[in-house]
Amino acid sequence: MAGRSTSQHKIRLLLLIPFLLWLFAFLLLPAIMMVISSFQNEGGQGFTLGQYVKGLTHPLYTTAIKNSVILSLVSALVGITVAVIGAYSFTTFSAKMRDRMLNISNIMTNFAGVPLAFGFMILFGINGMLTLLFKKLGLSFLVFDLYSWTGLAWVYIYFQIPVAILLIYPSLYAIKQEWKESAALLGANTWQFWQRIGVPVLLPAIAGTFSVLFANAMGAYATAYALVTQNFNLLPIQIGGMVAGDVFPRVELGSALAIILFLILAIALFINEKMLRLARKGQ
Amino acid sequence: MSFVHIRNVSKSFQDNKVLNQVSLSIEKGEFVTLLGPSGCGKSTLLRSVAGLNDIDEGSISVGGMDITHLPPKKRNVGMVFQSYALFPNMNVYDNIAFGLKMDGLSKLDIRSIVDDMISLIDLKGKEDRYPNQLSGGQQQRVALARSLVKKPTVLLLDEPLSALDAKIRRSLRNEIRLIQQRLKMTTIFVTHDQEEALTISDRIFVMNQGEIEQVGSPNDIYTAPASEYVARFIGNYNVWSRQQLQGLPVRGVPEQGDVFAVRPEAIRMETGYGDEIEGGIVADGKVTMVSILGNILRFEVDVSGLPVTVDMLSGQSIEHLGSGTPVRLVIPRDEWKSIRKSS
Repeated sequence: MAGRSTSQHKIRLLLLIPFLLWLFAFLLLPAIMMVISSFQNEGGQGFTLGQYVKGLTHPLYTTAIKNSVILSLVSALVGITVAVIGAYSFTTFSAKMRDRMLNISNIMTNFAGVPLAFGFMILFGINGMLTLLFKKLGLSFLVFDLYSWTGLAWVYIYFQIPVAILLIYPSLYAIKQEWKESAALLGANTWQFWQRIGVPVLLPAIAGTFSVLFANAMGAYATAYALVTQNFNLLPIQIGGMVAGDVFPRVELGSALAIILFLILAIALFINEKMLRLARKGQ
Repeated sequence: MSFVHIRNVSKSFQDNKVLNQVSLSIEKGEFVTLLGPSGCGKSTLLRSVAGLNDIDEGSISVGGMDITHLPPKKRNVGMVFQSYALFPNMNVYDNIAFGLKMDGLSKLDIRSIVDDMISLIDLKGKEDRYPNQLSGGQQQRVALARSLVKKPTVLLLDEPLSALDAKIRRSLRNEIRLIQQRLKMTTIFVTHDQEEALTISDRIFVMNQGEIEQVGSPNDIYTAPASEYVARFIGNYNVWSRQQLQGLPVRGVPEQGDVFAVRPEAIRMETGYGDEIEGGIVADGKVTMVSILGNILRFEVDVSGLPVTVDMLSGQSIEHLGSGTPVRLVIPRDEWKSIRKSS
């Protein structure tokens, strides 16, 4: 019996090999290469911290970092607010309606990148359908410049909302009717229920989703590139330009900027976790 | 005057009438049980008392005050749910203290009341544990304490033991009864488990399709079911119609009544064929099956096609009562109950 169990264990380990190889070849190896490269001079020689110094002091890159962080924060905040309200309303629908809304969210989640940018151009571009319609109806206040920070923020918010709905919905659905009823019988009103029970219970899911949205926006490249090419200074666009866009590729600086992007996400996750612990302690 | 008075309460969900002109009265300090199968309206009635669902007609009063249209928080009733419904973000102490905090009591008062309650439910030392760190029985005790802490006028228990395993269910059942008696708390308990209802209650209301079918003490309900429905629901009663008995070797059946019920333990089973008892009902049949149910031996006897269940205390020698043994069944006249036919 023991021999059979050991051989089964070995077979399971063998089945893991393709995944481990894939992980090594396409995640671990490029990451290691990127870290090494970020500490090298242009041309891939020697050891230097110069790429990081440049990335963190040159106005072009610090602006890119600032723009990306602000755009990610705004789109994540708006996205999660709309998603929490939307997902809560889903929980009050019939099962059939709920499934339909979740399916729509699922489809919307997959409608991102270049097709999404072109979709927005067709609707809200300079000669977009809705832009022209709003102008014709005298509703010019609804027209906005798609190729500006505001336009970019709308597009980011658009792709953040369905992702957030899909991530937050299970937690909202898990809020039990009996908790609300118990709280009501014990003297709590609706506001007190959400303040003392609903939101604290949801907080880990909200914080987790916020982190995912923030990372999602920080790393978004195709949508932003298709919409504003290099006319708007964002960190992923700068990195992309250094690897593939410029006449002379600057892989080392691109690697350092990518590591900085990674560190920003790590710091955001760390702060998120700290805040969550504080919130739990305060309950 | 009764403490809890429910008058002509009706409730429908769309076209489905769940409660139909239900009226009942409960005395102060009494422990009553609403007993019935799923969908009979017992939980809806309980939730109506709590104010968790509106009623279409009728009225509900507690302690002389009409609470029919009051919101749940103003009714001062405590409720324990089958799923415990403890707040997962709060530990034992905070769960129990929640209602007192909502009432704006001082921290010192809350501490003293909650400490007493924790002692009452025997969870001292577990105040800092979260619901997911407690067993099902412990969670339900916390839920009970949380409901009792505000000294409600009525305690409502909605199948509180159903999610627990048999052993814990039995011990918690006794614990609930002891606490209820100690606090003299008027309690309405909902269950579909007849054994639970018979063990714990002062009075039982058997419900059927949104109506009260029979009211009585556990002994009344068990020994004198009023209808075929109650007899079939309450235990392992043998229920026969006069029509079923016609042409069978059953002697001494009374002239009155159309449907009859006999408790399985009231039937005497003999292998000898000489002792017909005066005024008793006698039937001859054959044992088809013997089951051991702990302290009870259950015999299935076939009386010319009519199945009869007979219970005997274990510990008796049954070698001579194996499958196929011809037996004589003797039923004392006063155990032969004529009951109302149910639709």
